[in-house]
Amino acid sequence: MRKQLLVALVFIFAMVLSACATAEAPAADSGSAAPAAGAMTFVGTPRNETLILDNLGGTLERPDFFNPYAPGVDMGRGYHEVCLDNLWEIDTTTGEQYPALAAEMPKPLNDEYTSFEIKLREGIYWDDGVEFTADDVVYTLQLGLTNDKLPIHGWSVDYLKDVRAVDKYTVIVDTTRPQPRFSKDLGATIWDATRFWPVPKHVWEKEDPTTFAAFPPVCIAQYKYSKHDPNGNWTLWELRDDWQRTSVGMIKGKPGPKYLLWNFVGTEEKRILAMINNDVDILQDITPESMQVLTNRAPQVRAWHAGFPYADFDDPCERGIAFNNSQFPYDQWQTRWALALATDIKNVSLGTFAGMLRVSPLGVPPVAAVQNTYHKPLVERLLAMELPDGYKPFDPNFAVDMAKIFNEQGVGGDLPTSEAELIDLFGVGWWKYDVEQAAKLLESIGFTRDANGKWLLPDGTPWKIAINAPVDFEVQSGRLAFAVADSWSKFGIDATVNTMTAGSFWNASSTGEYQAGSYWPGCAIGPDIYPNVSFWHQKFIVDTGTPAPGNQHRHKSDKIAAILDELEKVTSDDPRNVELSKDLLMQMALEMHWIPMFGTSKFVPVNETYFTNYPTADNYYEGPWWWWSNFKFIVSQIEPKQ
Amino acid sequence: MHVIRFLATRIIVYLLVVWIGVTIVFFVPRFVPGNPVDAMLGKMMSQGTNMDPKLVASMRQTLTELFGLEGTLWEQYSAFLTRVLLTRDFGPSLSYYPTPVSMLIGRALPWSLGLMLTALAISWTLGNFIGLLAGYHNKSIASKAIETTAMLVYPIPYYILALLLVILFAYVWPVFPFVFQVSGAPGTWQWMVSVAYNSFLPLMSIVIVSLGWWIISMKALAIDTKEEDFVQFARYRGANDNKVMIRYVARTAILPQITVLALSIGGVFGGSLITEILFGYPGMGSLIYKAILGSDYNLMVGAISLSIVAVATATLVLDILYPFIDPRIRYN
Amino acid sequence: MRLVKPRLVVGLVIVGVFLVLGVIAPLFAPEDPTAWNTYFRNKPPSSLHLMGTNNLGQDIFWLLTWSIRNSLWIGLSVAALATAIGVLVGMLAGFVGGFLDRVLTLCMDVVIAVPSLPILILISALLGGNASLVIIAMVLVIFNWPWPGRQARAMALSLREREFINVAQASGESTAKILILEILPFMLGWALANFVNTILVAIAAESGLAIIGLSSLKEATLGTMIYWAMQHQALLLEQWFWILSPILSIMLLFIGLFLVSTGWSDYFATRRGRQ
Repeated sequence: MRKQLLVALVFIFAMVLSACATAEAPAADSGSAAPAAGAMTFVGTPRNETLILDNLGGTLERPDFFNPYAPGVDMGRGYHEVCLDNLWEIDTTTGEQYPALAAEMPKPLNDEYTSFEIKLREGIYWDDGVEFTADDVVYTLQLGLTNDKLPIHGWSVDYLKDVRAVDKYTVIVDTTRPQPRFSKDLGATIWDATRFWPVPKHVWEKEDPTTFAAFPPVCIAQYKYSKHDPNGNWTLWELRDDWQRTSVGMIKGKPGPKYLLWNFVGTEEKRILAMINNDVDILQDITPESMQVLTNRAPQVRAWHAGFPYADFDDPCERGIAFNNSQFPYDQWQTRWALALATDIKNVSLGTFAGMLRVSPLGVPPVAAVQNTYHKPLVERLLAMELPDGYKPFDPNFAVDMAKIFNEQGVGGDLPTSEAELIDLFGVGWWKYDVEQAAKLLESIGFTRDANGKWLLPDGTPWKIAINAPVDFEVQSGRLAFAVADSWSKFGIDATVNTMTAGSFWNASSTGEYQAGSYWPGCAIGPDIYPNVSFWHQKFIVDTGTPAPGNQHRHKSDKIAAILDELEKVTSDDPRNVELSKDLLMQMALEMHWIPMFGTSKFVPVNETYFTNYPTADNYYEGPWWWWSNFKFIVSQIEPKQ
Repeated sequence: MHVIRFLATRIIVYLLVVWIGVTIVFFVPRFVPGNPVDAMLGKMMSQGTNMDPKLVASMRQTLTELFGLEGTLWEQYSAFLTRVLLTRDFGPSLSYYPTPVSMLIGRALPWSLGLMLTALAISWTLGNFIGLLAGYHNKSIASKAIETTAMLVYPIPYYILALLLVILFAYVWPVFPFVFQVSGAPGTWQWMVSVAYNSFLPLMSIVIVSLGWWIISMKALAIDTKEEDFVQFARYRGANDNKVMIRYVARTAILPQITVLALSIGGVFGGSLITEILFGYPGMGSLIYKAILGSDYNLMVGAISLSIVAVATATLVLDILYPFIDPRIRYN
Repeated sequence: MRLVKPRLVVGLVIVGVFLVLGVIAPLFAPEDPTAWNTYFRNKPPSSLHLMGTNNLGQDIFWLLTWSIRNSLWIGLSVAALATAIGVLVGMLAGFVGGFLDRVLTLCMDVVIAVPSLPILILISALLGGNASLVIIAMVLVIFNWPWPGRQARAMALSLREREFINVAQASGESTAKILILEILPFMLGWALANFVNTILVAIAAESGLAIIGLSSLKEATLGTMIYWAMQHQALLLEQWFWILSPILSIMLLFIGLFLVSTGWSDYFATRRGRQ
């Protein structure tokens, strides 16, 4: 029996050793591996002509399904990135649209903005050799009007009055109501257009559009479908011989690598290891810790910033904590403000993403184009802003303080030194961390503390907050919830986190059956924020328990509604647009309609072994949005390494 | 008469088990907060798309109709039962609408069956063989060493063992693929080699974990059986050692192992979620998991029902066949 | 033959060490080790922090003791309840027989036929992923009582035919009394082995849920500790104490419990043989 015990101990020891050896071995040979000449990918294409991207959607259950109008389609894996195309595409550096399949921006035919002329680019061809014309556009718009089984049907009937082709390259669209933002409704803004992708009439008119698989897809952008994995892990796209006959070919004059391969390799550990091994060129989204592994082991990999803080902060949605503002005690502005002031924002930033985050006190994200229009000009008004009791909550020192913390930790070597540059990086500032003022606000509406310093609701029962958080998607929001709960617990609130699967997470948001959640209701990409904030109008509020058509957080405010009504009538380029939007954002901040905290940080690392000229902070011709429809324009700039 | 009455009761119980099980799987997801429509809209919105409230409201309406989620739970349940009983069709998947559930299961099931049946066959045969030898010669040092090893490997939680395998054999010493990537056209020789090569690590992880159990249990059974009178009697009659071991000990000791084997075969239809996630292996486990994440009621009911039917059938077949295998048991 | 098997002793020692770590040590934790940013992050082991601190600013040693405590709590409570319910229901079904037996057997068969992992995931979704450890334990009980239940029923069936039970029945003793006084003692040895096995099953099930992020992640358990360590790439960043301490704890605890379980069965068998 003693022998057995000895064997047992030796065995355990061996296991530990082998696990430890894990880390030592690969560190030695990684990174420096030079690209082997003539290397092939596992799909049989030359490695140096194949750009390999991480597939955001994971393993596809239906990899041979390409109907963009069916609810179950996966638009990623290259389909909307390099096969479909839009009438108007977005320039993510400015947040402005430009014509892609269309020859120019839509021309309003009357002062009411109810009739528009769309001119198409001439000489664009589908990859089967048929020309793209006004008939395709009309046919596609008619799809939504005539098929009540397509999810798009309800919107089409509500929005479109009439659609007709005037000649081969001209379409007239009449709308049911004034639509001053017509190009944003039918073209791409954030991620993609969501209502309209032209499909080839000559292929589709023979099929039932509700069940048509559209396989193999007929492409209109510069790549065509080559092959896919029946198990749904990868899809290969090949450059068209006639790539000049596409929007990218005409606008950019160059196409991009010969092959594009979207490949899903599995769990996060596997994805980073694959990048270290040079089996992936572009990773979509990883955590700061994974980024640290890459910087330690893979010198050929760089992130958006070459050094700390690595991440790109320009994702068009910001994260924070939102409440159901129709339920006590969250219907009281004092409660929401108290929670904001009880949030130790610097520690939350460190706990969420190791401090690699940009703060935002306003209801739109701190992306460069928006921050320059709103956050920075509004600092004066934020500093002067007073709560009803005269308290001034704004603290402009976040960026400088964070830089201090990083320097103390010894990681701040790559940081800029001037305050202006630090503010560009970490944001204009946030609310003070002031637990005394928070306590004062709570006590003013009847909250009390028990002997242990725990907060009690006005009726004397303990105050418990459960924060909804996504469990296996949107890591940043998931972690933010835990970090905030930690901060609030230290303030004496019993704060917990509900980790939820996607279905429950969104259902709670729409029915309002929750207290607080780590949601991201603040999106915008450029100065014209109305399309992204219009849902805050109180006319969309429904009872808790009923799915909300908008205003999921059920924030009731006459003042916000009044400004939104004004904004609806203003076109994007009207100077009043920005002024009204500023008033709107200040009003929202004062009411604390939700607690915006940070822009989204994307680490988006790229591997420079085989390809170069990726967009980066030093080469900022586009944002790093590999999974957006405008990727077809980005990829045309990516070059093989000589 | 006895036999017929036994069979009738047993089959009624079988049908009841399946019916109650499927009903549970039908209702539990519908009580979970979250529904396929919101999961789908949420997925669209989380990609950062910009949808105005009217569009969201109209899409919710269309999708609810399309997915057959209107009406009371009771109406949905009776519609479901009618459809399944009449057409044996679980309808379209909701997350992958309009793909039929049967098509998704049809793609995932062969992978799960292939992997898990092979693993079961290997570990069962090997485990029982080793266990038998170790039990029959239980005084030898080899026997003790085998038992110690089995005892140390068996309690390791599966995902930890699997993770160690991936790290050791796909990363530190990369003899096996790191990512599940099958090449070649299905059915060709190249494809079969590729499948075998890619499936090796997942297969080994399951074999190693289950082998320990078969060895330990078979060894215990063999030791007990060896002491029984009829074995001793055979030995006194002068039968040779191997013959006694195979004909007398193995035959008796294997019976309980067959019971467990049958139940395990039933369990195969549910796939193995952790294996599939860790190795990126396609199969029923991750299909069911995705169905749960997307609140895909139809896919969930379809896939889990298959597993329920399989386990219940395995138990039924076992009960009916048992008297043929083990003469000591009669129908009662 | 020695009365106490060395295997049982080794197992008991291992389990004893874990009981000390999990029951007594947590009482001395300086503060709540689950709170974030209590200490500097990623410090190596020192006299101040026996196993160093992790990326979340937690002290790994104290976190481990809390994790062991909660995992043991789950394992013990699930095992106790599942075994108790299983034995009682099984005995009742086997001894009383008839219609009651049919209904109870049907219940057990249904629970066995329904795969537990999907339902566990669904239920944790039902509770908003904020399922407290108590609720997770309850769900595990639901899925773990039928196995001992079936075995107990089989044992009760065979005991029912024995002489002394018939004597007891003839002398007019109540069913409850017979079950408790006459049948239960025969099952105790087996029930204890089953109890220990169920501890293993319950701890493994909770950590499995935690690994995919659906256990009670704010609570410290061995499973959630692995989850957070994996989330923060502790493996690839070589933060060994964080990732390996819960893994090795589970392995050791399992080996210890397994030794106790088999050792106990042997011991029990030997003792019974001597009677």
